[in-house]
Amino acid sequence: MGINVLFFGVLTEVTGTHRKHYRGISSFSDLKYRIRDDFPGIENYNFRIAVNNRIVNEDPVLNDNDEVAYMPPFTGG
Amino acid sequence: MRLIEGPISPAAISEIIFRGGTNTDSGAHSLFLGQVRKDLVDGKSVKAIEYSAYEEMVMMEANKILKSVMSEFTDVISIEILHSKGFVNAGEISLAVMVTSGHREQAIRACAKLVELIKEKLPIWKKEILEDDSEKWKQE
Repeated sequence: MGINVLFFGVLTEVTGTHRKHYRGISSFSDLKYRIRDDFPGIENYNFRIAVNNRIVNEDPVLNDNDEVAYMPPFTGG
Repeated sequence: MRLIEGPISPAAISEIIFRGGTNTDSGAHSLFLGQVRKDLVDGKSVKAIEYSAYEEMVMMEANKILKSVMSEFTDVISIEILHSKGFVNAGEISLAVMVTSGHREQAIRACAKLVELIKEKLPIWKKEILEDDSEKWKQE
Protein backbone atom coordinates (compact mmCIF):
# COMPACT_ATOMS: atom_id res chain seq x y z
CA MET A 1 0.00 0.00 0.00
CA GLY A 2 0.99 3.63 -0.37
CA ILE A 3 1.49 5.86 2.67
CA ASN A 4 1.94 9.63 2.80
CA VAL A 5 4.42 10.61 5.48
CA LEU A 6 4.71 14.14 6.85
CA PHE A 7 7.60 15.50 8.92
CA PHE A 8 7.33 18.55 11.15
CA GLY A 9 9.52 20.92 13.13
CA VAL A 10 13.17 19.98 13.45
CA LEU A 11 12.45 16.70 11.66
CA THR A 12 12.04 18.59 8.38
CA GLU A 13 15.73 19.45 8.69
CA VAL A 14 16.76 15.94 9.71
CA THR A 15 14.97 14.47 6.69
CA GLY A 16 15.40 17.40 4.32
CA THR A 17 11.73 17.23 3.42
CA HIS A 18 8.24 17.92 4.70
CA ARG A 19 6.52 15.11 2.82
CA LYS A 20 7.45 11.75 1.37
CA HIS A 21 5.32 9.09 -0.27
CA TYR A 22 6.16 5.46 0.40
CA ARG A 23 4.99 2.64 -1.85
CA GLY A 24 4.78 -1.07 -1.15
CA ILE A 25 4.40 -0.72 2.61
CA SER A 26 3.19 -3.88 4.33
CA SER A 27 2.70 -2.65 7.89
CA PHE A 28 3.35 0.18 10.31
CA SER A 29 6.59 -1.40 11.50
CA ASP A 30 7.68 -1.87 7.89
CA LEU A 31 7.11 1.87 7.35
CA LYS A 32 9.03 2.78 10.52
CA TYR A 33 12.02 0.69 9.42
CA ARG A 34 11.95 2.21 5.93
CA ILE A 35 11.95 5.72 7.40
CA ARG A 36 14.73 4.87 9.82
CA ASP A 37 16.80 3.45 6.95
CA ASP A 38 16.21 6.56 4.84
CA PHE A 39 16.90 9.00 7.67
CA PRO A 40 19.10 7.33 10.30
CA GLY A 41 19.48 10.59 12.23
CA ILE A 42 15.80 10.62 13.08
CA GLU A 43 16.33 8.16 15.92
CA ASN A 44 18.26 10.82 17.84
CA TYR A 45 15.11 12.93 18.21
CA ASN A 46 12.01 12.69 20.34
CA PHE A 47 8.83 12.46 18.34
CA ARG A 48 5.29 11.21 18.41
CA ILE A 49 3.48 9.70 15.47
CA ALA A 50 -0.04 10.50 14.28
CA VAL A 51 -2.02 8.48 11.78
CA ASN A 52 -4.72 10.48 10.01
CA ASN A 53 -4.45 13.26 12.61
CA ARG A 54 -4.63 10.99 15.66
CA ILE A 55 -1.65 10.28 17.87
CA VAL A 56 -0.92 6.55 18.11
CA ASN A 57 0.86 4.89 20.99
CA GLU A 58 0.92 1.35 19.67
CA ASP A 59 1.49 0.15 16.14
CA PRO A 60 -1.81 0.70 14.31
CA VAL A 61 -3.13 -1.09 11.26
CA LEU A 62 -2.41 1.06 8.22
CA ASN A 63 -4.62 1.38 5.17
CA ASP A 64 -3.75 2.47 1.66
CA ASN A 65 -3.27 6.26 1.42
CA ASP A 66 -3.14 6.82 5.16
CA GLU A 67 -1.30 9.94 6.33
CA VAL A 68 1.40 9.34 8.93
CA ALA A 69 2.94 12.35 10.69
CA TYR A 70 6.25 12.45 12.57
CA MET A 71 5.93 15.19 15.17
CA PRO A 72 8.58 16.49 17.60
CA PRO A 73 7.35 17.94 20.92
CA PHE A 74 4.88 20.77 20.34
CA THR A 75 6.17 24.29 20.98
CA GLY A 76 3.23 26.49 19.98
CA GLY A 77 1.75 29.36 21.90
CA MET B 1 -9.87 28.57 16.24
CA ARG B 2 -8.13 30.35 13.41
CA LEU B 3 -4.55 30.17 12.18
CA ILE B 4 -3.49 33.56 10.89
CA GLU B 5 -0.56 34.22 8.58
CA GLY B 6 1.91 36.49 10.42
CA PRO B 7 1.26 38.41 13.65
CA ILE B 8 -2.17 38.79 15.25
CA SER B 9 -3.04 42.40 14.42
CA PRO B 10 -4.65 44.87 16.81
CA ALA B 11 -7.59 44.89 14.36
CA ALA B 12 -8.06 41.11 14.71
CA ILE B 13 -7.94 41.43 18.50
CA SER B 14 -10.45 44.31 18.41
CA GLU B 15 -12.72 42.18 16.26
CA ILE B 16 -12.89 39.28 18.76
CA ILE B 17 -13.52 41.74 21.61
CA PHE B 18 -16.31 43.33 19.59
CA ARG B 19 -17.86 39.94 18.72
CA GLY B 20 -17.78 38.83 22.37
CA GLY B 21 -19.50 42.05 23.37
CA THR B 22 -22.47 41.41 21.12
CA ASN B 23 -23.79 38.76 23.55
CA THR B 24 -25.70 40.61 26.26
CA ASP B 25 -25.91 37.55 28.56
CA SER B 26 -22.18 37.84 29.16
CA GLY B 27 -20.72 39.76 32.07
CA ALA B 28 -17.05 38.95 31.65
CA HIS B 29 -14.37 38.52 29.02
CA SER B 30 -10.93 37.17 29.80
CA LEU B 31 -8.31 37.91 27.14
CA PHE B 32 -4.83 36.38 26.96
CA LEU B 33 -2.25 37.65 24.49
CA GLY B 34 1.01 35.82 23.84
CA GLN B 35 3.89 37.89 22.47
CA VAL B 36 7.16 36.88 20.83
CA ARG B 37 9.87 37.55 23.40
CA LYS B 38 13.31 38.83 22.46
CA ASP B 39 15.09 35.97 24.22
CA LEU B 40 18.84 35.54 24.21
CA VAL B 41 19.86 32.26 22.54
CA ASP B 42 23.57 31.37 22.41
CA GLY B 43 24.30 35.01 23.16
CA LYS B 44 22.19 36.27 20.24
CA SER B 45 18.79 37.87 20.51
CA VAL B 46 15.69 36.42 18.90
CA LYS B 47 14.37 38.77 16.23
CA ALA B 48 11.45 36.65 15.05
CA ILE B 49 9.78 33.28 15.30
CA GLU B 50 8.61 31.20 12.38
CA TYR B 51 5.60 29.09 13.31
CA SER B 52 4.66 25.95 11.43
CA ALA B 53 1.60 23.82 12.06
CA TYR B 54 0.00 20.54 11.12
CA GLU B 55 -3.08 22.52 10.23
CA GLU B 56 -5.64 19.76 9.82
CA MET B 57 -4.71 18.23 13.16
CA VAL B 58 -4.59 21.67 14.84
CA MET B 59 -8.24 22.16 13.88
CA MET B 60 -9.26 18.70 15.11
CA GLU B 61 -7.41 19.08 18.42
CA ALA B 62 -8.69 22.62 18.90
CA ASN B 63 -12.26 21.37 18.55
CA LYS B 64 -11.61 18.74 21.23
CA ILE B 65 -10.11 21.38 23.54
CA LEU B 66 -13.05 23.73 22.98
CA LYS B 67 -15.57 21.00 23.73
CA SER B 68 -13.81 19.87 26.90
CA VAL B 69 -13.44 23.43 28.25
CA MET B 70 -17.05 24.32 27.40
CA SER B 71 -18.27 21.21 29.23
CA GLU B 72 -16.04 21.84 32.28
CA PHE B 73 -16.92 25.55 32.56
CA THR B 74 -20.65 25.73 32.02
CA ASP B 75 -20.84 29.50 32.54
CA VAL B 76 -18.69 30.02 29.43
CA ILE B 77 -20.62 31.39 26.44
CA SER B 78 -17.98 31.62 23.74
CA ILE B 79 -14.28 31.09 23.07
CA GLU B 80 -12.05 32.64 20.42
CA ILE B 81 -8.54 31.40 19.65
CA LEU B 82 -6.22 33.05 17.12
CA HIS B 83 -2.75 31.61 16.58
CA SER B 84 -0.09 32.76 14.15
CA LYS B 85 1.58 30.74 11.45
CA GLY B 86 4.61 31.93 9.52
CA PHE B 87 6.81 34.81 10.68
CA VAL B 88 6.14 36.91 13.76
CA ASN B 89 8.68 39.52 14.90
CA ALA B 90 9.78 40.01 18.50
CA GLY B 91 7.27 42.26 20.22
CA GLU B 92 4.37 41.13 18.03
CA ILE B 93 1.41 39.02 19.17
CA SER B 94 1.29 35.36 18.14
CA LEU B 95 -1.61 34.06 20.25
CA ALA B 96 -4.92 35.54 21.34
CA VAL B 97 -7.42 33.65 23.48
CA MET B 98 -10.66 35.23 24.58
CA VAL B 99 -13.24 33.59 26.82
CA THR B 100 -16.65 35.15 27.32
CA SER B 101 -18.81 34.00 30.20
CA GLY B 102 -21.61 35.06 32.46
CA HIS B 103 -19.29 35.89 35.35
CA ARG B 104 -15.59 36.61 35.78
CA GLU B 105 -14.45 33.57 37.73
CA GLN B 106 -15.01 30.98 35.00
CA ALA B 107 -13.83 33.36 32.27
CA ILE B 108 -10.45 33.72 34.00
CA ARG B 109 -10.05 30.04 34.91
CA ALA B 110 -11.17 28.76 31.50
CA CYS B 111 -8.84 31.18 29.71
CA ALA B 112 -5.85 30.03 31.78
CA LYS B 113 -6.71 26.39 31.13
CA LEU B 114 -7.08 27.00 27.38
CA VAL B 115 -3.64 28.57 27.12
CA GLU B 116 -2.09 25.51 28.79
CA LEU B 117 -4.03 23.11 26.56
CA ILE B 118 -3.09 25.04 23.42
CA LYS B 119 0.59 24.71 24.29
CA GLU B 120 0.26 21.05 25.22
CA LYS B 121 -2.10 19.69 22.57
CA LEU B 122 -1.81 21.68 19.35
CA PRO B 123 0.75 20.45 16.79
CA ILE B 124 2.51 23.76 16.25
CA TRP B 125 6.26 24.34 16.21
CA LYS B 126 8.40 27.42 16.51
CA LYS B 127 11.75 28.15 14.96
CA GLU B 128 13.66 31.07 16.40
CA ILE B 129 15.30 33.45 13.93
CA LEU B 130 18.28 35.11 15.59
CA GLU B 131 19.76 38.56 15.01
CA ASP B 132 22.44 37.18 12.65
CA ASP B 133 19.75 35.30 10.66
CA SER B 134 20.79 31.92 12.04
CA GLU B 135 17.89 29.67 13.00
CA LYS B 136 17.19 27.42 15.92
CA TRP B 137 14.24 25.08 16.47
CA LYS B 138 12.73 25.65 19.87
CA GLN B 139 12.98 22.50 22.00
CA GLU B 140 10.70 21.95 24.94
